[in-house]
Amino acid sequence: MYRILDKAFSIIIKLLTLFSLLLLAFVIIFIFKESFVFFKEVSIFKFISGRIWNPLSSPDKLSILNIILGTLYVAFVAIVIALPIGVGSALLLSGYIKGRRRTIIRGIIDILGGIPSVVYGFIGLLVLVKFFEVKFDFPTGESVLAGGILLSLMVLPYIISTCDETMEKVYNSHLSSSQALGVSNNYFIRKLVLVESKKGIIAAVVLALGRAMGETMAVMMVIGNAPMAPKLLGKAQTIPSLIALEMGMAEVGSLHYHGLFAAGFVLMIMILIINIIIYYVKRSISL
Amino acid sequence: MREKIKAILFKLWITLSAIIVLSSVVFIFAYITKNGIGSINLEFIFGKPKGIPLGSEGGIFPAIAGSLLLTLIACIFAMILAISTAIYVVFYCESKKIESMVHVIVQCMAGVPSIVLGLFGYTLLVANLKLGRSLLSGGITLGIMIFPFIQVRVEKTLREINFSLVNSSYALGVSKSYTLFKLVLPMCRADIVSAITLAGGFAMGAAAPIILTAAVIFAPTPKSLSSPVMALPFHLYILTGEGISLEKSYATALVLILLLFIINILSLALTFRRKELK
Repeated sequence: MYRILDKAFSIIIKLLTLFSLLLLAFVIIFIFKESFVFFKEVSIFKFISGRIWNPLSSPDKLSILNIILGTLYVAFVAIVIALPIGVGSALLLSGYIKGRRRTIIRGIIDILGGIPSVVYGFIGLLVLVKFFEVKFDFPTGESVLAGGILLSLMVLPYIISTCDETMEKVYNSHLSSSQALGVSNNYFIRKLVLVESKKGIIAAVVLALGRAMGETMAVMMVIGNAPMAPKLLGKAQTIPSLIALEMGMAEVGSLHYHGLFAAGFVLMIMILIINIIIYYVKRSISL
Repeated sequence: MREKIKAILFKLWITLSAIIVLSSVVFIFAYITKNGIGSINLEFIFGKPKGIPLGSEGGIFPAIAGSLLLTLIACIFAMILAISTAIYVVFYCESKKIESMVHVIVQCMAGVPSIVLGLFGYTLLVANLKLGRSLLSGGITLGIMIFPFIQVRVEKTLREINFSLVNSSYALGVSKSYTLFKLVLPMCRADIVSAITLAGGFAMGAAAPIILTAAVIFAPTPKSLSSPVMALPFHLYILTGEGISLEKSYATALVLILLLFIINILSLALTFRRKELK
């Protein structure tokens, strides 16, 4: 009796595992299936190299180079802002703060990661965008810069925790030799921990890049959503915000509908590549 | 001398960065609490949205209920799959290759942007399986989103248990499934529940996956799995995006953040209790 139960349980576990792994395949297949219809009409190359997105006119007018550039630009701005702050905080955490205080500060940083994206967007709209409009007299505060600043806050927890993980390992493994040589803690952290954690920092950047490119709500609320060539202080559009805004309006089965899936497909492929890179970078750290 | 200046600059840099991070958290909480606390009362929490346009008066009870139900379904769905996958990798999988393949796939799933999951839910669940915009479609989509998160944490917990106990159990001739249910899972219960609660908080705050699969601007408190729902993040987005009522937006944001806060504290409390038991 027990033997049968045991067997049944192991089969159930295997089936459920198989199902969960197939989910990713399902996601890719379904998105591809829907965008394939579009790619039959417009070539992929034309789709990602053209600059005009106008779903109301003929099919040739659907192309997303500007939107891809917008997505990359916002993510890039976010990382440029977040990286020094994140690496600095991680160094402070791994080298100077120990014990209970460390747990508390890590907890506060994790809270930053737990705040929903909509709330970031809401604050961005009311504080950041207003601030740009009132203090700097910009024609519009909705800009790539506003999106980048918000996103930098959102990716900070990822950067800090990934860097902190590596830095702590490096710190602990070299601490006794550094103390034996009589090197000051400050010098040790600067010259050794920071330099040795290079790979961890790269992993953090790549991870943050993937998160930033896929982020929808916060960016959508502050970036202005105009599919033009992105400028730092001008409006732009990102692929996730394009999908979220227009999917509800597109008629199921129309070219516009399939075009949005095609945009999602392009985004997914970019991010999948990034994730495979992270996997290998991370593995090379632990070896 | 030069070395000294460098050391000071370095200290300045890392202190400043930590100050920036911590003050952002404080600012966000203080800002929302200050502006939102005034509009929160029993009527706001337990009432329905009213007024023209809808939402400018009244309360947000259907959105609170909708969010909680969506989170519940997502957690159940993700939990079953994630725990099974973790058990498989730790206890059943014998080849290193399969194990690393599972890890790559889970890593990739963690990276799929939430809006793409929304698209997937929309085409498969809403359009092809004809579930419509509903509690069920949204819950499953959110479940896929939090699956990798739970799986990674549960797997880590399972690997940390004392394997000599498991081996003694096998040596006594106890079957694998009995060992899992009576020994391994009870040992990790607190950690698993903590991982699920944390993931639930993550699901509750997400708006992108449910824009296309579940959320509507107005719906009564959902009665069945196939009814469309209101959800707090989406409601906040509509209130702000359409400029319906700033006052209600602040209050909605505050309610959402407070709910998440409670969830996070629960999860932390569970982890702490376990650490003390050790």
